Amino acid sequence: MKKAGTSLAVISTLIAMGAVVGCGSGGTNNAAGTAGSAANTTVTSTGSQTGVLNVGLQADPSTLDPALSSALVDRQVMANIYDTLFALTPDGKIVPDLVKTYEVSSDGKTYTFHLQTGVKFQDGTTFDSAAVRFNLQRDMAKTSARASELNMIQSIDTPDSNTVVLHLKTPYSPLLGVLTDRAGMMVSPAAVKKYGDDYANHPVGTGPYIFESRVKGDHITVKANPNYWKGAPKIQQVTFKAFSDPNVELTNLENGAIQLADQVPAQSLSTLQQNANFVVSNTPGLGYQGVYLNTSEAPFNNQYLREAVDAAIDRQTITNVVFKGEASPAWGPFSPKSPVYDAKQDTPPAPNGDEVKKFLKEAGDPNGFTFTLQTANSPVSAEVAQIMQSMLAKYNITMKIQQLEFGTLLSNNTNHAFQASALGWSGRVDPDQNTYQFWYTNGPQNGSNFSDPTIDKLLDEARQVGDMSKRKAIYSQFMDEMHKQDPYIFIYFQNNTYAYSKNLQGFQAYPDGVFRIADMSI
Amino acid sequence: MAYVVKRLLTMIPVLLFLSMMVFSLIHLIPGDPAQIILGQDATPSAVAALRAQMGLNQPLFMQYVQWMGKLFHGNLGTSLIDHEAVMKLIGQRLPVTVELAIGTLIVALLIAFPLGILAAVYRGKWADFVALFTSTIGLAVPPFWIGIIFLLLFTVKVHLFQSSGYVPIWQNPGQNLSTMILPMVATGIREAAVLLRMLRSSLMEVVDQDFVRTARAKGLRGFVVIVGHALPNALIPVVTTAGIQIAGLLGGLVITEQIFSLPGFGQLLVQSVFSRDYTTVQGAAMVAALIVVVVNLIVDLVYGFVDPRIRLTGGRS
Repeated sequence: MKKAGTSLAVISTLIAMGAVVGCGSGGTNNAAGTAGSAANTTVTSTGSQTGVLNVGLQADPSTLDPALSSALVDRQVMANIYDTLFALTPDGKIVPDLVKTYEVSSDGKTYTFHLQTGVKFQDGTTFDSAAVRFNLQRDMAKTSARASELNMIQSIDTPDSNTVVLHLKTPYSPLLGVLTDRAGMMVSPAAVKKYGDDYANHPVGTGPYIFESRVKGDHITVKANPNYWKGAPKIQQVTFKAFSDPNVELTNLENGAIQLADQVPAQSLSTLQQNANFVVSNTPGLGYQGVYLNTSEAPFNNQYLREAVDAAIDRQTITNVVFKGEASPAWGPFSPKSPVYDAKQDTPPAPNGDEVKKFLKEAGDPNGFTFTLQTANSPVSAEVAQIMQSMLAKYNITMKIQQLEFGTLLSNNTNHAFQASALGWSGRVDPDQNTYQFWYTNGPQNGSNFSDPTIDKLLDEARQVGDMSKRKAIYSQFMDEMHKQDPYIFIYFQNNTYAYSKNLQGFQAYPDGVFRIADMSI
Repeated sequence: MAYVVKRLLTMIPVLLFLSMMVFSLIHLIPGDPAQIILGQDATPSAVAALRAQMGLNQPLFMQYVQWMGKLFHGNLGTSLIDHEAVMKLIGQRLPVTVELAIGTLIVALLIAFPLGILAAVYRGKWADFVALFTSTIGLAVPPFWIGIIFLLLFTVKVHLFQSSGYVPIWQNPGQNLSTMILPMVATGIREAAVLLRMLRSSLMEVVDQDFVRTARAKGLRGFVVIVGHALPNALIPVVTTAGIQIAGLLGGLVITEQIFSLPGFGQLLVQSVFSRDYTTVQGAAMVAALIVVVVNLIVDLVYGFVDPRIRLTGGRS
């Protein structure tokens, strides 16, 4: 009897704990119900029915509102819900999309867009010039993450329902490139008015897939848009699942829970390439990674010390050891996919010990110096930092490593609260988007607090010239100057690396690193 | 009853103190949600404008008072990032972690009790050795490692379970268990190791006492003596440990949740800290604190059931 009493007590303890803890979520049954119904969709999607695709993402998208998005992973989902005014081809060309044809005035200050006709948003409302104006104005608002991309627009005219005329303050050649990205994604004005602040949870575009449901931190489900103006997509339903660990994402690919993964850890690349069940896509992206040096503070207010660090780093070793073929050495902000890439100028020379010693001497620190590098708290960032540390140690340059959580790293960078800060850029199609905001005096991302009249003049010139070959010549001068001044130590260009099941057809890698699921079938 | 009321009253200052701690700590971390929402290329004036829109430009004290005001009305506020009610976000995530924590504890008890009892009965013999070996392994091998090995073994090599695709248990119990069993066992092994050590040493201490010798002298079999007489007297430290474990598990399952792709409470808290979603962090931390306090109270009440000699009174004992 005593025995039974004891076990009863133990069991009742457990039940009581469960009941009490259950109360914590009481009153939110409704919410749990929503989660449930969303999850139910996943059940059907894991079945063997064709036309269903599960995609692994390296993080949970923070928002599905193009005006507020600041992460690449958001675009993986948004690119399928929204169409853009202009589109990017797999080889990096900019072509009209929701815009059918366009003209640019000879002074480069007036852009006239003739829109596609008969396009409807997924909520049934019409896509027209008023919708374009609404979107551009929304993106130009101060509290939009797009504001700096569109701040050259002076006014927007809509002479008729299919024509939009943009008047610019000054010629701005990056405009079309900007409109292939989030600033060009057209959201339904009716949906924005209906949902207000909650719009991001009810996104509506003109794109091939219609948002269906989402459980934050877990998955997002979209279904094919049967009335898509370019023809209904083949894959009927897509579920995007978030994985915070790349190895877990890979395991889910291997066991069939997902058919497409948006990242492959470098150490798994070769094994996966040998596996006949999967295809690996490993192509250069548009981004670059490196280190900001704070030019307004010791020690890096001394240009020679910046040059000494630049000459001491062996980028080839870093890409070989850490990335095993998922990155290439960088010496500029223009990746091999950029229209202004110059193999000679953007490929780093081998490290030069004599030069390093010469720079240290000229700086007045022949016996070396000490600085602290702030870097993200990820294993890859730590590995890169440690290799740099050992390369610099050869010349008595002591680099201390301070690992920070990403939000803190970003905040310190913006506030110039660092000596050296390892932070890269995911890259954009137009070269201006990879340079201007970083090195123009007081640019929004000028973490180095760098200011140089020659650089400013060249950057201004490059964004006002329309012809890409002329711009390339200007960026070449810009790079000559950057290599003298070294406000930023370029280290590597990262590749876009994906793996997918061999059953998935039609996958194409785009230089912006974003999937176009409408191209695919399974 | 008076005891329970007194305990509930003492919870108020504890929770109030915690609310201040949570609020000031999250606001002390550098970086702010406006900067994170607008991203790397935001101008300082845009960040300031968004901060004003979010109500973050008010003095911290005022923000705290407003938050507390809402809290007293049972409103945890709206997420700064997701624009959804914090209650709703927690409501979606907490059941996942609660199920995982309870399952983990059940696994732990299923491992710890038989092995702990065997170890005490066959003290210094093979069973004791097996128990000690198991608990050392359980403590030495981290759950995330066991988790990854389980994933490779049971979802890739043998398709026995699912590696992701959580559904609530009331929607589809089969699928739910298929995604939950591996994480429960992976973390349960470690918790079992802790409980097993506690139970073994507690039992061995009790076994040396007079009343156990008396029971043996009466001619009862060793097993009956242990389970019937010694075990109930050895349970107090075990119940305390289990209580601490379940409270700790509710916030400490982040890594397990990540490996098994479970949309749990721990992940919500960590993601909210990274995105500086102040309201969600505050709400989730308060709910976690409340759970710890309540679980502790329940553990204290359970003492009375386990050992009737412990009387729970409001006065001095």
